[in-house]
Amino acid sequence: MDSKADWENLSNMVHKALNFLDRKDISYAEAFFTSTRTTEVTIRNSEIFAQNRADDSGVGFRVVAPGNKVGFACTNSTNEKAVIEAGVQAMSLARLSSEVPNFALPEARRLPELRGLFDSEVAVAKVDEAVDLARRAIESAEGFDERVIAKHGLVVFESGWRGVANTSGVDHVERETRAVIYLGASGEQDGEVTSSCYDVAFSRSLDLEPEQVGESAARMATELFKPRKLKTFKGSVIFGPEAVSSQIFTVLMNALKGENVVTAASPWAGKVGQVVASDSLTVNDNAVLENGFSSRRFDDEGYPSQKSVLIQNGNLLSFLHDATSAHALATENTGNASRSHGGFDMVSSIIGNGYRTRPEVYASNLVVQAGNRTRDELVSEIRKGVLAESLAGFPQAGSGVVSAQLSRAFFISNGETQFPIKGGMVSGVAYDWLNQISGVGNDVKRYQNAIVPSITVEEVQLVGA
Amino acid sequence: MFESLQKGIQTGIADKANLIQLRGQKRKMITCTVKNGVVENFSNIRLSGVGVRVYVDENSWGFSSTNALDSESVEKTLVNAYRLGKASSMLKNRRTPLELGEKVEAEISSKLKKSPDDLPLQDILEIPSSAFKGAKEADPRVADVKATYISIQDDKYFLCSEGSRIHQETTRIMLYVNVLAKRSGLLCPASENLGHTGGLEIFDKVTPYSLGKTAAEKAARLLEAKPPPPGKFRVVIHPTLCATLLHEAIGHPLEADLAMAGGGFGNRIDELVSSRLVTIYDDGQVQGGLGYFPYDDEGVECKRTNLIENGVLRSFMHDRTSAAQTGALPTGNAHAWDYSVEPLIRQTNIGIEAGESSVEEMIEDVKEGLFLEGTFGGQADVNADFTFGFQGARRIRQGRLEEELRGANVAGNAIEVFKTIDAVGKKAILRPGACGKQQFAVQGRLVPAIRCEILVGGMGGK
Repeated sequence: MDSKADWENLSNMVHKALNFLDRKDISYAEAFFTSTRTTEVTIRNSEIFAQNRADDSGVGFRVVAPGNKVGFACTNSTNEKAVIEAGVQAMSLARLSSEVPNFALPEARRLPELRGLFDSEVAVAKVDEAVDLARRAIESAEGFDERVIAKHGLVVFESGWRGVANTSGVDHVERETRAVIYLGASGEQDGEVTSSCYDVAFSRSLDLEPEQVGESAARMATELFKPRKLKTFKGSVIFGPEAVSSQIFTVLMNALKGENVVTAASPWAGKVGQVVASDSLTVNDNAVLENGFSSRRFDDEGYPSQKSVLIQNGNLLSFLHDATSAHALATENTGNASRSHGGFDMVSSIIGNGYRTRPEVYASNLVVQAGNRTRDELVSEIRKGVLAESLAGFPQAGSGVVSAQLSRAFFISNGETQFPIKGGMVSGVAYDWLNQISGVGNDVKRYQNAIVPSITVEEVQLVGA
Repeated sequence: MFESLQKGIQTGIADKANLIQLRGQKRKMITCTVKNGVVENFSNIRLSGVGVRVYVDENSWGFSSTNALDSESVEKTLVNAYRLGKASSMLKNRRTPLELGEKVEAEISSKLKKSPDDLPLQDILEIPSSAFKGAKEADPRVADVKATYISIQDDKYFLCSEGSRIHQETTRIMLYVNVLAKRSGLLCPASENLGHTGGLEIFDKVTPYSLGKTAAEKAARLLEAKPPPPGKFRVVIHPTLCATLLHEAIGHPLEADLAMAGGGFGNRIDELVSSRLVTIYDDGQVQGGLGYFPYDDEGVECKRTNLIENGVLRSFMHDRTSAAQTGALPTGNAHAWDYSVEPLIRQTNIGIEAGESSVEEMIEDVKEGLFLEGTFGGQADVNADFTFGFQGARRIRQGRLEEELRGANVAGNAIEVFKTIDAVGKKAILRPGACGKQQFAVQGRLVPAIRCEILVGGMGGK
C-alpha cells in the first residue's frame, strides 16, 4: 500500500486515535506511522534466486501517563478499531509503568528544507528494473575474472511515507525512496576459496551502478588469492572505510549516544570540551545532507534535523540526543531519535524497527571528515603494518574492545602492500586507538548510517595464527 | 485465516504455477525493558499478515507479502508473487523441478505450563525488575543494567497447492540481562539470557533475580581481570560459548545455500571433516528448544537431520530448492522470521552429541591454555571462516584453573578447528540462540563443553 489515498486514510485514523487519547487522563500521546512498499531481488550462487515484494504499514503509539510513565503499543492492522485499540493499549501499559525521569517529547517546530529524499523513478520502478540491476552486477563480477563467483546479493527499492504526530502539536510527514545494491563475491582457484568480499551502494535514486559494484567485489576477491599467515606483532594499521564503518563506528556510537551519557555507560560522559581523539579526527552527524541515505527533515519523534559537530580536531563538542536525553542533561536536542538503530542487538532484532519500536538515540549520517591523503600515500607511510579493509566479529561496545578477524587484509612493509593475510586478528581498545591516529584518507565511502574514509592507527596489536 | 488463504489457492494462478505456498500469521509480543530501575519500554506489539510464495517455470521464486488479511488482498498478493516469479524466469538457463511434497495435515501447539496470558501485565513488569534488582544488589560497581523480558506468541497457518494444511501455535519466553560494571575509567560488560519455547515456567528453574545476579557478578569480577593474551591456544570451551561456536563455525557453513556456494564444506559429503569425536545434528522438534519448529515454512517436517556423524559429513540443511538442486531430501530448514519475508535456509535446534569427558577432566589434561565462557555473538563466512566473542576466561596452567581474564574474540576456520577437537563434554545443555542472516531468527542449541585449538584475539601480556 503506497497510494496517497491509503496513506491519507491511515493518517486520518491515527489523528482520530490521538484526539481520542488526548481526551483521556494522559500527559502526551505520540504516533509514528509508516507505509512502505519494498521490492527486492535476491542473488544466490551466481543466479537471481527470488523476487520479493512487501507492502507494509502500521502505527506505533507512545503514551505518557501522568508522572512520566510511558507505554508503547503498535499494530499493522490498518483499520480504525485496531488503530485506536493500539493507542488504548499504550495508555494501559503507561499507567502500569513507572516514572521515566526527564521523559520529554519535542514541541512543534519549523522543519529545514531538504532535497533528495524522494525520487519518483524509484517509487514507480518495476521489479524488472531490479532484476536487470542484479543480472548486470552478477555478470560484471563473474565477467571480471573467471575465478569469481557472485555468491549472494540484493537489489532493493523502497518507497513510502513516514509520519510523526503528537498531542503537543508535532505533525510531520515525509515521502522517501531508497535504492540499494549489494553484491558478495568470492574467488575460487585450485580448491582455495577466498573470504567473501562485498561492495554495496546506498542511494535515494536509481543512479546505482551495478557494473561498478560487481567489478569492485570481484576485484577484491581476486586480490585475496595465495594468502599468507601473520606473525603476532604490534604495528600500524590502516582501517579501510568498510572496517571503520563496522568496528570503529559501533564503538563511536556507544560513546556518543546521549542516553549512554545519562547512565554513565559512555566512557566520554562528562568529557565535553576535552580531548578524546587525535587532532586529525573530526566527526559530525549530518541529517540534512543533500541526497544522504539517512537524511531526513525530522527525526523519528518529530524534531527538526540538523548537522551537529560531535568531535572537532579531537575535541569532544557534543553528544547525540533525542528529546529525553537532551532534557536529562539540560542540553539541546540534536534530532537523533531513531526507530532503526542498526547493529545486531538481540532485543531490537526481535522487536523490529520502524513503527514496531520506540525510538532510541542513533546516528543519521555520521560523517568522519576526510583527510587529504590518498590510500597509496597512507600505505607508503607505513614501515610495518596491516591494511585492514574488512573485519569480521562484533566489538564490545561498552568497553571499546575490538578483537576482530582480518577477513580482507594485507601485510604492509616498507611502504608497500606485500600479500593478503589469512587467519589473523587485530585487537585493542578502540577508544585508545582514536588517540593513536596518524592519518586520515580522502577515500570516503558511504554506508547506511556512516560516511567514512580510511584511518591509520599506530601501535595496534596484530595477532598471528 | 485458512479460509482467505484457501480462496487464494482457488484462483487461476494455481494452474499456471508449479507451486504456491501461502503463510498467514498473527503474532503478539509483549516486551518490557527495565533499565537502571526505570521501566524504559513496555510494549504490546501486534502484527498480522500473509506471505505468498509462488514457484514458476521450474526455475524462479516470487514472494509477496501484505499486512492485510482479507481474501481480496490475499488474491492480489498472490498475483504479485506470480508476476514477481516470472520476472527472472527468462534469465534462467536451467530448470529445477521440485520433488512433490508430502501432503501434510497437522495441528501443532507448543507445550505450555504457565501461559503469559494468565499473568496480569503488572506482574510481567516484575520479571525484568527483579532481574535488575538481582544485578544491582550483586555488587556496588555495577553501573548500568538493562533487563528485557519478551514473550512471542505465534499463530501460523500454512497452506500449499500440493494440499498441505498446517496450523502451528507456539509461545516463546525470553529474558536478557546486560550489565556494565565500572571502576574508574574501566567498563566491563557481561550478559546472561534465558529463552525457550514454552511458558513462564522457565523462571521456576532460574529466577530472574538470580539471572541478574549471575550477570552482575561476572561483570564485577572482570573488572579485576587482565586482558587475555593474543595467539593460538588450547582451549576448553564452556557450553554457553560452545553454542556460538557450533552455530557460527559449523552451523552456517552446513546451510546448503552457503555450502553450495563452493568452498568450506561444499562437495565433501561422506568425507571426514572433523574430529571423530564429533556428531552434529539439527532438530526442529526438540521440546522447549527456542528453535522448536515441527514444520518449516515450506510445510516440510523438521525432524532430526544428522549433519556430521563421528566426524564424517552426512548432510547439509536444505530447503526444497537446494534439495532438488543437489538430489537430496528437504530437511525442513526453510524458515522465515515472520509472514512478511521469504523463507531462508536456517538452523533450528543445532546440537553436538555429548561425549565422555567431564569439564574437570578436560581441564586437567591442559598444560597451558584457556577456559573460555559466555558469548558475545559472532559471524561466519562461506569458506568456513568464523569469529565470535567470549565474555571471560580463566588461564589454565598444569591442569589447573588460574587467574581470570577479560573477554575478546576468537577466530578460525571450522575445518581446521574442528579437526583439533580432542574431548567432548558428557553433558549437553539446551541454550537459547539467535541469528541475523539477512533476517532475524530465534534458534536453540544443544551443547556440551569441548576442547580444541583456537586463535584468541587478545591484547594482554603472556
